[in-house]
Amino acid sequence: MAQLGTQIESVAGARRIEATQPRLSRWRALEESRLFPAVLVLPILIFFLVWNIIPLLWLLGVSFYRFKLTSAQPEQYIGFENFRRLWESSVYWGTLGRTLTFMVCSVGLATVLGILLGLLFWGSARMPGRRLALTLLFTPMILPPVAVGTFYRLIYDPTFGVLNYYANRITGKTYDFLGDKELAFWALVAVDVWMWTPFMTLMTLAALGSVPKAELEAAEIDRLPWLKRLWYVVLPHGKFILMLGILLRTIDAFKTTDLVYLMTRGGPGNRTELVGVTLYRQGFEAFQMGNASAMAVIALLIAIAFTSIYLYVLNYRETRAALR
Amino acid sequence: MSEIRVEGLTKTFGPVVALDNVSFVFPESEVTCLLGPSGCGKTTLMRIIAGLETPTSGEVYFGDQRVTRLKPSQRDIGMVFQYPVVYRGISVRRNIELPLLSQKLSAAERQRRLDTVVQILGLEDSLDKDITQLDNGTRQKVAVARAVARQPRIILFDEPITNVDAHSKLQLKRSFKELTRQLRQTIIYVTHDQTEAMTLADRIALMEKGKIVQCDEPRELYNHPADVFAGWFLGNPGMNFFPANVVAAGQGLALDAPFFARPVPLTGNGQPGQITVGIRPEHVVVHASQAPNAVEARLLRKSITIGRQYLLAIDRQGQALKAKVPPSVGVALGSTVWVELPLDRIVLFNEQGRRAGLTPSELAGASAASTAARVPAGSV
Repeated sequence: MAQLGTQIESVAGARRIEATQPRLSRWRALEESRLFPAVLVLPILIFFLVWNIIPLLWLLGVSFYRFKLTSAQPEQYIGFENFRRLWESSVYWGTLGRTLTFMVCSVGLATVLGILLGLLFWGSARMPGRRLALTLLFTPMILPPVAVGTFYRLIYDPTFGVLNYYANRITGKTYDFLGDKELAFWALVAVDVWMWTPFMTLMTLAALGSVPKAELEAAEIDRLPWLKRLWYVVLPHGKFILMLGILLRTIDAFKTTDLVYLMTRGGPGNRTELVGVTLYRQGFEAFQMGNASAMAVIALLIAIAFTSIYLYVLNYRETRAALR
Repeated sequence: MSEIRVEGLTKTFGPVVALDNVSFVFPESEVTCLLGPSGCGKTTLMRIIAGLETPTSGEVYFGDQRVTRLKPSQRDIGMVFQYPVVYRGISVRRNIELPLLSQKLSAAERQRRLDTVVQILGLEDSLDKDITQLDNGTRQKVAVARAVARQPRIILFDEPITNVDAHSKLQLKRSFKELTRQLRQTIIYVTHDQTEAMTLADRIALMEKGKIVQCDEPRELYNHPADVFAGWFLGNPGMNFFPANVVAAGQGLALDAPFFARPVPLTGNGQPGQITVGIRPEHVVVHASQAPNAVEARLLRKSITIGRQYLLAIDRQGQALKAKVPPSVGVALGSTVWVELPLDRIVLFNEQGRRAGLTPSELAGASAASTAARVPAGSV
């Protein structure tokens, strides 16, 4: 009887298998087809195409036109005219130079301060309240630039600003930090450094964390002076992470727009006008779309250049790792 | 060069007691091996001596100087780690020289020290190679050279050849032997490998559960273990243990167990009762046929080990015994064998597993002299 039961069961089982067989084989056929990988990649490709490639090509196209949103005239193809004009514009070159200065000063200062702070926190692993101090230190980084811009405008304010209050007490003079031709640029650099030093501290701590403990102990036992310890033990392990942080910051600093726009709108005159600000004002205040697009294309090329450096450094690390 | 003295050293990691009130002296100009199973606290002890770990309580002295509160860099020590630690991106030569540069040495003296260590460790060919091109074994040699060239007061080795390949292991071991002979420096060498300890050490400090249980010269430690653990841990396989009875015989005491042909008279202080008998497998004498003083036993298993020696599993009246015999003896054995335990080779332990105050009385006399020539073969 039991035997009969299992027989019936197995027959039923076979039937079930038959029923699922066609669906299974269809799936397998799809899986084995050469198109299958393409099918899997397709969604992200479509996304990429719609949101990245098409707008970029569109941008590139627009940069070859005279295209003003406020004008009744139809857009007109002018070839490289927009680029030629930018090339010949001393104002634009000035802006580019200013942006590079901003980038170098801001990233340089943030890196130096960040590394120093990182070393400080690294050396104070047993200090009470270290966690709290670290959390507080990282707040500028997570604040939106809009908030930072707004409250720094208040801090820098010549009449109500807290900074002026103290500056006045010490020197007896009143400073208009954001209105002064000489000071405005550096006031902005200071805010950017304040915002991004924590990021560099974080990268420094990550870099220091990647140094094997035994190597640090060996250096201590071998009585290496601290500069040699940094150079021969810490840097060989930490330099890639640090480099990555610097490059990310460089690309980011080049694009700085929101902070400047909120605090000075590029003024006084064009003393704080960076490429991002110029671009924004050309596009959305003057509605010179053709011109703005040409600027955007140039900005894109510069960003690509930085990204290439970044990728080169990453690859360099991988080839080194492979060789090892 | 100075002796190292630790006093009442205790180290706890949370609930784990890594070192339990250790007091010990590492003698000057000697190689002391800290030997013990994983987790016995040997590395912790070394790291406290190096200053990389602070003791929960207790003190460390180098000679007369108290160093417990000093940083590692202030202690003038050299250390070789388990994983080869080298300074990257520079040549072997620069690696060895780097710590020397911060000492005020003349260029000639620096060169002399470099030449000496390079020659002993056989690093001549790799001297100008970048450190990243080298394999682990060579890197470890560089690490050793770096530690030795500085000529610190004390050199610490933390399982330095555990993580290198077999070939480099042998080479490193040989150069260590050479180094220690030339340097005559205070050296502590941590290892869990008894062969390493046996070959390199002047004295072995055996550790178990955060304590140093015995410290002796390698052969002494091997032949006269102070407790059951020492007997079991050393040797491959470790010592045989079996229970025996101490019985009253005439005015004295005698030892009675199935492996003895007749009760063995004992000397020393003791009470009748249970006792543990220990004997190393290679000291057990096995005969293919009947022999005086031998008892009949069953041979359960026979396998060949290193050096084509035979490892035997023997049973008599439910008591098991391992024996290691030369190939000429092993090959001839059938399923019934005759076993003899030389009285000068047996060690007696009390109920706590420590050496008992009793010894077989026939030990005194000729037999002791005859066995002195026998080398403990089980160490390899």
